[in-house]
Amino acid sequence: MTRIFPDLPKTATNRWGFPDLGVGVGLRSVHFPHILSQWPKVDWFEVLSENYLDTGGRPLYVLDRVAERYPVALHGVSLGIGNTDPLNRDYLGKLKGLADRVRAHWVSDHLCWTGILGRNTHDLLPMPYTEEALRHTSARVRQVSELLERPLVIENPSSYVEFVASSMPEWEFLARLAEVADCGLLLDVNNVYVSSFNHGFDPRVYIDAIPAQRVVQYHLAGHTHKGSHIIDTHSDHAIPEVWELYRRAWQRTGPVATLYEWDENVPAFEVVHAEALKALAQREALELVGAAHGA
Amino acid sequence: MALELPLPRLQRWMQSVVVHPGSTRQAVASSEARAELAPEALVQVILPARQLEPIERVGIYHGMYLLRMEEALATDYPALKHFLGDGAFLELVRAYVQAHPSVSYTLNRLGDHLPDFVRDAPGLPRPGFCHDLARLEQAVSQVFDAPETPVLDAAQVASVPAHAWEGARLRPIEAFRLLALRYPVNDYVQSLRDDDHNHPKPRQKANWVAIYRCNYSVYRLALSRAAYDLLTDLAAGRPLGEAVSAALHRTGRRAPGEAELNLWFRKWVAEGLFQSVTTTA
Repeated sequence: MTRIFPDLPKTATNRWGFPDLGVGVGLRSVHFPHILSQWPKVDWFEVLSENYLDTGGRPLYVLDRVAERYPVALHGVSLGIGNTDPLNRDYLGKLKGLADRVRAHWVSDHLCWTGILGRNTHDLLPMPYTEEALRHTSARVRQVSELLERPLVIENPSSYVEFVASSMPEWEFLARLAEVADCGLLLDVNNVYVSSFNHGFDPRVYIDAIPAQRVVQYHLAGHTHKGSHIIDTHSDHAIPEVWELYRRAWQRTGPVATLYEWDENVPAFEVVHAEALKALAQREALELVGAAHGA
Repeated sequence: MALELPLPRLQRWMQSVVVHPGSTRQAVASSEARAELAPEALVQVILPARQLEPIERVGIYHGMYLLRMEEALATDYPALKHFLGDGAFLELVRAYVQAHPSVSYTLNRLGDHLPDFVRDAPGLPRPGFCHDLARLEQAVSQVFDAPETPVLDAAQVASVPAHAWEGARLRPIEAFRLLALRYPVNDYVQSLRDDDHNHPKPRQKANWVAIYRCNYSVYRLALSRAAYDLLTDLAAGRPLGEAVSAALHRTGRRAPGEAELNLWFRKWVAEGLFQSVTTTA
């Protein structure tokens, strides 16, 4: 694999030595024809795990071809790490099989719950940030990491409710979870912004509180502003405030794999990739500033 | 004053609200939700936001649930949605996910029960047509995701001695389905693909279709009744000689001639419908 931008620092600053894969985009079926015919110069692809677990058809065929040529990481939405139902071992077995098959650099999912009593709402439902929830979630993260035989990477979600019973802010919960469960973090900068608007906190405080050495990946995306609240739709370009948060976070973590998500009204591959490459420009600018100051 | 529900109870309450088919207020007041949390205690569990009351905040999740289910089912059943129209399809989804909520990690399984559900759904226009349409679209999805299996090639066919064909058994690929339909839903789906607005009328008209995958693309092949019967026999493991003999001896217009049979087999092998041939000796 030849990185498009080989001069980018690849020094791993995270706890596990996960590499900085550069700037990638999500693998989406609408882009399959373009990818298979053009093999575009992309540093890496993030793959939505559930879309490839139960298919032997074209999606898996394309994924195999992509994994032969590009670094890949798996990103899930159905783990339900906060569910109070037992872990779904059938799912986890298939997830591990897929991760091994495509030699995934890491496997991530969200800090959330997805359903109970055997049901799946297919939503990323919010956790209360309590000591009980922290104990529960930490134990499950450890179990999942053992079953997957690799450290699980947990992403901060966008959320639309806050629980009165929460005894700590999300960033503290996430930092403690990462420490207790010894997991990696996928810092979704857009989610930080969305939740900061919805819940009325300063997103810079959130960014500054995240343990930098545990961040192995960034997510960037656009959202939909509804006036009274913001929905994380992954349907647009990222706004300047999100880029500002990305720069702030990057200054703390150093070079970390970055991915642009676009899931609704998905435009042509080049448009998504161009948005992702804005992250590269941000990183290069920060590196220049750092170099000028002897960093 | 904060009301700290144990995590399982909080999740039972919130799920009962999120998946409720009515309004958010009806959901919060439902018996399932009340079993976990009294409606008036909502403010002790969910904080208000600057511009949203607690019930409005929960309503965001509640509102997104049905839309997400509708989007998933519309992906698998686009022709059914087109036939019913957006509003009727949404109401169908609303009723369906109450009866058959997702219990899988993948939304690909959500529509597994939809064909049977539409057959029996009260108030649905043309339920027989909808049932056939859903069966066809389900078969397309199943074929799309079926495991990839080897394909019988011309060299393998040529290697079978002539005398062995009588007792040979042809095994279809995994990505293969046969449907006998009462309504012209294959033509309906094709008219949508062709952007032809002159859709066939939903009147009864028996027809037969093979759905299969070739080079990772899904195809629908209209069959005669005789071809359908023959492929059904072969898929059931009946020896080729018996299956062909049965096809040749069927009376009336359905009986194919030898030349026609040869054409069918050439096409079926060329399209990769079979994965293997086994001979008895």
